[in-house]
Amino acid sequence: MKLAWQNIVHDRARFSVTVLGVSFAVFLMVFQGSLLVGFLRAASRLIDASDSDLWITARGVQAFEFGTPIEGRVREMAAGVPGVLETSRVCMAFSVYRTPNGKQQVVALVGADRNVGERFPVPDVSGSPEGMSPDAVLYDVSDRDLIQVTAMPAEVEVNRHRARIERVINGYGAFLGVPFLFTSYRNASRFMGVGPEEGMFVLLRVDKGYSTSDVQRSLRQRFPEVEVLTRDEFARKSRSYWTIKTGAGGAILTAAVLGFLIGLVVVSQTIYANTMENIEEYATLKALGASQAFVARIVLTQALICGAVGSILGLLTVVPCIGYAKSLIPWIYTPWWLLLVMVVPSLAMCSLASIASVRSALTVEPGRVFRA
Amino acid sequence: MPNHFLGVEGASVSFGKREAQVRALRGVSQFFERGTLSLVMGPSGSGKTTLLSLLGCLLSPDEGTVFIDGVAVNGLSETEKTVVRQKKISFVFQAFRLFHSLSAIDNVALGFELRDAALPGRMEMARDLLVRFGLGDKLSQEPNELSPGEKQRVAIARALAGNPPILLADEPTASLDAQAGRNICQILRNQVDDDGRTVVVVTHDPRWQEFADHTITLCDGQVEQVEKNL
Repeated sequence: MKLAWQNIVHDRARFSVTVLGVSFAVFLMVFQGSLLVGFLRAASRLIDASDSDLWITARGVQAFEFGTPIEGRVREMAAGVPGVLETSRVCMAFSVYRTPNGKQQVVALVGADRNVGERFPVPDVSGSPEGMSPDAVLYDVSDRDLIQVTAMPAEVEVNRHRARIERVINGYGAFLGVPFLFTSYRNASRFMGVGPEEGMFVLLRVDKGYSTSDVQRSLRQRFPEVEVLTRDEFARKSRSYWTIKTGAGGAILTAAVLGFLIGLVVVSQTIYANTMENIEEYATLKALGASQAFVARIVLTQALICGAVGSILGLLTVVPCIGYAKSLIPWIYTPWWLLLVMVVPSLAMCSLASIASVRSALTVEPGRVFRA
Repeated sequence: MPNHFLGVEGASVSFGKREAQVRALRGVSQFFERGTLSLVMGPSGSGKTTLLSLLGCLLSPDEGTVFIDGVAVNGLSETEKTVVRQKKISFVFQAFRLFHSLSAIDNVALGFELRDAALPGRMEMARDLLVRFGLGDKLSQEPNELSPGEKQRVAIARALAGNPPILLADEPTASLDAQAGRNICQILRNQVDDDGRTVVVVTHDPRWQEFADHTITLCDGQVEQVEKNL
């Protein structure tokens, strides 16, 4: 396969164009993939952060951000269903936030009981050396510009109620441009004007001795007026809403597919041009006894070399760019597997791009070698 | 009983259709003895290259039979013909047809690879062949760094890689000066005398006469004359 390698390095200009085409496609696919993964992750981030097995929501709730109240008795009665170990509550509503300097801003206010889960952002007073109050308000560091708090604790207003911002957290930044504020369930329900016994989301933990699906079935039979979903089901529903029903995911996916197609066209063109430039050599190879597989392997190897080099260049470029983009899009996320997985479509792209070239090389008449 | 080692029997080949049809060969029967150097001469359009294409398994006749190493190859599939070329036949071209991105030694090593991909020591054998042809100091040169005579010697070395019994040459000296041309004639003659190869050379070049055993002259797609030279 020395011929394959030598052919492409011999024409460095064309090789560079091919590699740039592949790296551009890889860059776009990884960037769009990171947007999609980050978007999916952000769409269900708070659901995933809970330790609950089951979520009870009002009927028709499409996503965490659109919860509506359910009767308080649901929680009390659910607690009595065999297999339910513990219940907790979460509420969320878009609220008006007034900064210390009087500027107003819409925020997504989230309130939760402390036992929702270790990872769920709720003021934790236990073991708090600074003495955080049980009704403290938290916000994410990436929303600093929107929240406009310069020193803590800071007295602010949420829905015309006095609130005290005491802590900055990390990893729960604004999703769709609206910053989150986190506080206790009691505090949030007061800000939202919801009765303390009313709920929006009731979260249940199932006793280890019971099957989650059995408990879910039992709850569904007992409470037909609400929806009982496992945590994964609700997370999936929420992600599906934001990505499919709003069209946001489609837009991101379309850009990724466009990246693939642009790369495909660029690589096809350059590999085809390279093959046609060397078509006499393929005829010579066949006249000298090269098998069809040998000829196809040369063209394919050239395409894959371009794919591999282009992928590496694309990955080396996209990683720092995504790092920079995090300051503008806090929820963008590149899992390590995405980098590895994207090598597959880029190599597939190069293989696809070489189909026309392989065909030309295979169908060239070896008899043309005698034409001077 | 003719020697059917290499040749054609009743071979006709036409190109084009209807009014534009050209009959390149018209029922030609011609055999080439094993271990000889034969010239195929004649004016342009007489069918020389078509005959060489038939002998090289690069073309199938409309009528007639082609024999390679004593076997009729007409009915063979393209894959089988590829194997015949791989094992039995090699070519030397007027335009050299070296692989432009490969060095001289890599060109010859590729010749070995095409005949036997599993053959060990290809580079050493390629080096030996090139040294034998006086190109020991040009091993790493790419074709565009070689003179026409050197290119043709590399092309012959590549053709000899894997030791094929038949060598078909199309105007191998047409692009060379007198000295380089004579050198190539001698190299191909040696292939017959030293290694018992069968060499068929299509040429217009009269210098070849003194190196050839036979001269076949074609005219209008038919054999006009067969002469014994040596």
